[in-house]
Amino acid sequence: MITATTLITVPLIAGIVILIVPFAQRLAGYLALLVALGMVGAVVGFIYRFQPMAGYQFGDDAEWIPQLGIRWSVGLDGVGLAMTAVTALVVACALGYGLWAGRDRTHATFGLILITEAFLFLVFAARDLFVFYVGFEGMLIPLLVLLAVWGGEDRRRATVQVVAYTAFGTLLMLVAILWLGLTAPGGPDFSMAAAVGRGNDLVFWAFALAFAIKSPLFPLHGWVLPAYRQSSPEVAAVLSGVASKAGGFAFLAVLVPLFPEQSARYAWLFIALGLIGFLWGALLAFRQPDGRGVIAYSSIAQMSFVVLGIFLLNAQGSTGATFQMVNHALVSAALFLLAGWLETQAGSGDFRKLGGLARSRPVLATVALVLGMAALAVPGSSVFASEFLILLAAFADAWWLGAIASVGIVLAAMYMLRWISAVLHEREGDLVGQLRPPDLRSGALLAILPLALALIALSVAPAQLTERVDPSSQMMVAGAYGEKEAR
Amino acid sequence: MIESPNVDVLAIAPEIALLVGASLVLMVAAFLRGRDRGIGIVLGIAAFAVSAGFAIAAWGDPPTVTIAEALQVDQLTQAVRILVAGCGILTLLVALGWPRMREAGAEYAAILLFAATGMTLIAGSNSFVTLFVALELFSISLYVLCAFDRTSKASLESGFKYLVLGTIGSIILVYGAAFLYGATGSFQFDGVAAGLAEAEPGSWLVVLGVVLVLAGLLFKIGALPFHMWVPDVYEGAPTSITGFMAAATKIAAFVALARVIAEPLAPVRDTWEPVLVAVAVATIIVGNVAALVQDNVKRMLAYSSIAAAGFGLIAIIVGGEAGSRALLFYLAAYAPMAIGAFAVITLHERDHHGTTTLDSIRAWGFERPFAGLAMVVFLLGFAGFPLTAGFLGKFLVAGSAVESGWAWLAVVGAIGSVIGIAYYLRVILAMYDRSARSGVHAAGAPGLASVSIAIALCLALVIAGGVLPGIGIDWAGEAARVLAAGR
Repeated sequence: MITATTLITVPLIAGIVILIVPFAQRLAGYLALLVALGMVGAVVGFIYRFQPMAGYQFGDDAEWIPQLGIRWSVGLDGVGLAMTAVTALVVACALGYGLWAGRDRTHATFGLILITEAFLFLVFAARDLFVFYVGFEGMLIPLLVLLAVWGGEDRRRATVQVVAYTAFGTLLMLVAILWLGLTAPGGPDFSMAAAVGRGNDLVFWAFALAFAIKSPLFPLHGWVLPAYRQSSPEVAAVLSGVASKAGGFAFLAVLVPLFPEQSARYAWLFIALGLIGFLWGALLAFRQPDGRGVIAYSSIAQMSFVVLGIFLLNAQGSTGATFQMVNHALVSAALFLLAGWLETQAGSGDFRKLGGLARSRPVLATVALVLGMAALAVPGSSVFASEFLILLAAFADAWWLGAIASVGIVLAAMYMLRWISAVLHEREGDLVGQLRPPDLRSGALLAILPLALALIALSVAPAQLTERVDPSSQMMVAGAYGEKEAR
Repeated sequence: MIESPNVDVLAIAPEIALLVGASLVLMVAAFLRGRDRGIGIVLGIAAFAVSAGFAIAAWGDPPTVTIAEALQVDQLTQAVRILVAGCGILTLLVALGWPRMREAGAEYAAILLFAATGMTLIAGSNSFVTLFVALELFSISLYVLCAFDRTSKASLESGFKYLVLGTIGSIILVYGAAFLYGATGSFQFDGVAAGLAEAEPGSWLVVLGVVLVLAGLLFKIGALPFHMWVPDVYEGAPTSITGFMAAATKIAAFVALARVIAEPLAPVRDTWEPVLVAVAVATIIVGNVAALVQDNVKRMLAYSSIAAAGFGLIAIIVGGEAGSRALLFYLAAYAPMAIGAFAVITLHERDHHGTTTLDSIRAWGFERPFAGLAMVVFLLGFAGFPLTAGFLGKFLVAGSAVESGWAWLAVVGAIGSVIGIAYYLRVILAMYDRSARSGVHAAGAPGLASVSIAIALCLALVIAGGVLPGIGIDWAGEAARVLAAGR
C-alpha cells in the first residue's frame, strides 16, 4: 500500500544510497531518475484516488517519540496533494536535466536532489509540528550542499546568505514549536490539530518570520538572487520551483489555520508586503541584465502575489494562491532549466551577448514562447486562471487592492516580453554569432517539455486542480475568515 | 583498632573492573619488553566492556550509599558508568590506529582506565571529599594523557598548560568546599544541604563557598570565564584524547555539577541561579563567536565544545525532571558526535602528516568518502539538524527551558546555533571544495580499520539517536529522576 510515508521514505533512502555508494555517474543518474519517475507515478495514483471532500488522505499515524507527544503523522489534503504532485514533476525534470548536462562528481548531486524531494514531501504532508520542522529544516541541508559545492563562482557568499537568513528563521520557529507542543493541555502534544488557536503573538511571529524568509516575502528576500544565480540550473529549478513553495504552502497550511486570530489581525501587513513585493519584484525583473535575474525577481514577485492571495483569507484567494504556486513552480522550473541550457550553449546568460536565437531554431523558439506566454498570463493559460482567482478575491476585499494588483500583472507581461525578445529576437548577439548554439534537442528538451505540457494540461482543464484543492483550501482559511468577519 | 567502613563490593563492581583492568594491563605490559603493546588496548577495551556490563546488570536496582556514605550508587551513577565505558571503548578503538600505540599502548590504556574510574566516581560522589578525590583522579590522568605524545611540542605544551590551569581549578574547588564546611560543618552532601537550609541567607561564607565550588566545576566543563585552557589543550592533546575529553570529561563534570546543584546547594538556589544564567549566556555567545574565526579544525571544535557546554548549562539551570533528562540525553548524544568527529580528524592527520586546518582539509572529503560523509553527519549533529541525535538533544534542552519559563534562554541557545551552522558549514565547504586538489592520496594504512569501526559506531549512534530516540529518552528519564527527587 503506497502512502505518504512511502513517498517520503523511498526518495530519502534512495538518495542516501546514491549519495554513499560510488556508482558510475551515468548509473547514479539513471537510478535517481527512475526513483523520481516512480514518485511521479505514485503521485498520479494519488491524484486518481483522491476524494476532494474527505480531508487528509493516504496518511499514516504512528507513535514516534511518545515521551514528547510526537507522532509520525502525515497525510495529504487537496493543497498538499497539489504541491506534492508539482514537486514530483519538477524534481524528475531537474534530475533529467542534470543527467543530460552531466558535470563532475554528479552521483552525489543526484542523491542530494532526491533527499531534498523527500524533505519537501515531508513538509507538504506533515500533520505534526515536529515532523513539519524536520522537513522544513531538513531540506535546507541538501540544498545548501548543492549550492555550496556545485554552485557558480560566487557560491561561497550565496551560501552564507542562505544560511544566515533561513537558519535564523527556522530556529526561532523551533522555539515556537517547542512552546506550542510542550504547553499543550493534557501533556506534550505536537500535533497541528492540538495547536490550533493556542499561540500568542510572539509564537505567531516566529512562525511567520520563518515562512516569510523561505517564500521569500519582501523585505526578507536578500538571499534569493545570489542563491538562484549561483546554483546549477537543475538546483535553481528545484529551489525556485518547489523549495520556495514550502514557504507559501506553510503560510496557507500551517500559519493561517493554526493562528486564525492573529492571521486575521495582521492580514493587512502581509497583504501590504505582498503588494509591495509583487510590484517591486516585477520592476526589478524588468531591469535585470540576464535571464536568471529576470526569473529570480519574477519569482519574488509571484510568491509575493501568492502570499497576498493567501491573506485575503477567502476561498477564491486561497485556491487561487495554491493554483498560482503550482503554475509558478512549473513556469520557473522550466525557465531556469531553459536559461541554464542557454548559458551552457551560448556561454552566457547576458542579454547583450544573446539575441536572435529564434532564427533557424524552431524548437527553442516554440518552447520559449509557450513558457513566456504562460508566465505572462495570456488569457486561457493556467497562470491567467490562477491570477484571475486571486484578483477576484482582491476585488472582493477592496476595489483599490484589486486595481493595484492588476498593475503588477501588467508589469509581469512587460518583463516576460522583454525576456522573450531579448533572447529570441532583436539583433544576433556576439556570442550567438561566434558559438552557433544548436537548437534545443533531445535530453534538455525532454527535461523541459513535461513542465510545459503540464502547464498546457492545466490550461485546458484547470478544474481538475481547483476541484481537488478548493475544499481543503477553504477549510484552511475558514477559521481566519470567521475572525476577519467578526472584526 | 580502627573500624573499617562497610564496603558493598557489588555496588562498586564497575569501578573495581576498571581498576583491576588497569592493573592487569600494566602487569601484562611488564612482560612485553620490546614487543607490540597494542594488546594493552585490547585488554583495556575488555575492562571497559566488563565495567559497562556490571553497570547494565545493576540498572534498575534500588539506590544505595556505600563506603562510609562517600558514594551514591543510583541510576544516575549507573548511567554515567555506562556512558563513560562506552566513550572509553570508542576512544581506545580510535587510539589503536595510532602508530605510537605499538610502544605505549598498554600505558595509554591503563591511564585511560584510571581517568574513567575518576569520572564514574565523581558522578556518584556523596561528599565534597569524594568529589575532590575523584576529580583529581581523572584530572591527573588526563594531564598525563594530554602530554602523551612526547615527541610533539604541542602535546607537551597541552599537558603542561592543563596541569597548571587544572590545578588552579581544583584548588578553587577545595577552597569552596572548605568555606561550605565552615558554614555548615559537613562535607557530606546531605549535611551541607541541611546546614545551608538553616544558614543565614547571603552570608559571605555561604556565597563564597557556593561560587568557588561552582567555579571549580565550571572550570572542568570549560564554561566562561574558565574556558581559556580548552582551545590550547584540545588542540595540542593527541586527538583521540581530545575526543575523550570532549565526550567523557563533559559527562562526568556536568553530572557532578548537576548533583551538587540538586543536592547540597539546592537550598541556596537564589545564590547560584543568577551566576549560572550569566555564565551560560556568556559561554554560548563567546564559544560560538570565537569558533567562527578559527582556521584550525581542532581549535574550532574546541570552541564549539565550549558553546555546547553553555547549552548544557541551560539544562542545569532548568533542573527538575525535564531539565535533568534533557541534560543527560544531550550529553549522551554529544559524546558519539565528539568522539566521531575527532576520530575523523585522526584519520586526516595520518593522511596529511600534520595539523588539520581548513586549508589542509580541502577536497579531502572526495579522497575519503566514508570519513568525509561521517564528518558531515557529526557536524550537522553539532549544529542540531533534524534526524541526528544532536538535534534531539538540543530539542529536549530547549524544550525543558521553554516549558519552565526560561524561553529566552532557549532563544539565546537558538541564536548560538545559527552562528554554529556557519562555522560547521565552513568545514564541510572546505572538505568538498571542488576547485582545490587534495594533497592526499589515501592509501590504506595499518590500524585504520579500528578507527573506521569507531567512526561507524559513532555514526550509527548519532543517527539512531536522531531517528528513534525513544529508548534513549526513557533511559535518560530514569536516571534523571535521581536529580529531580532532590533532597
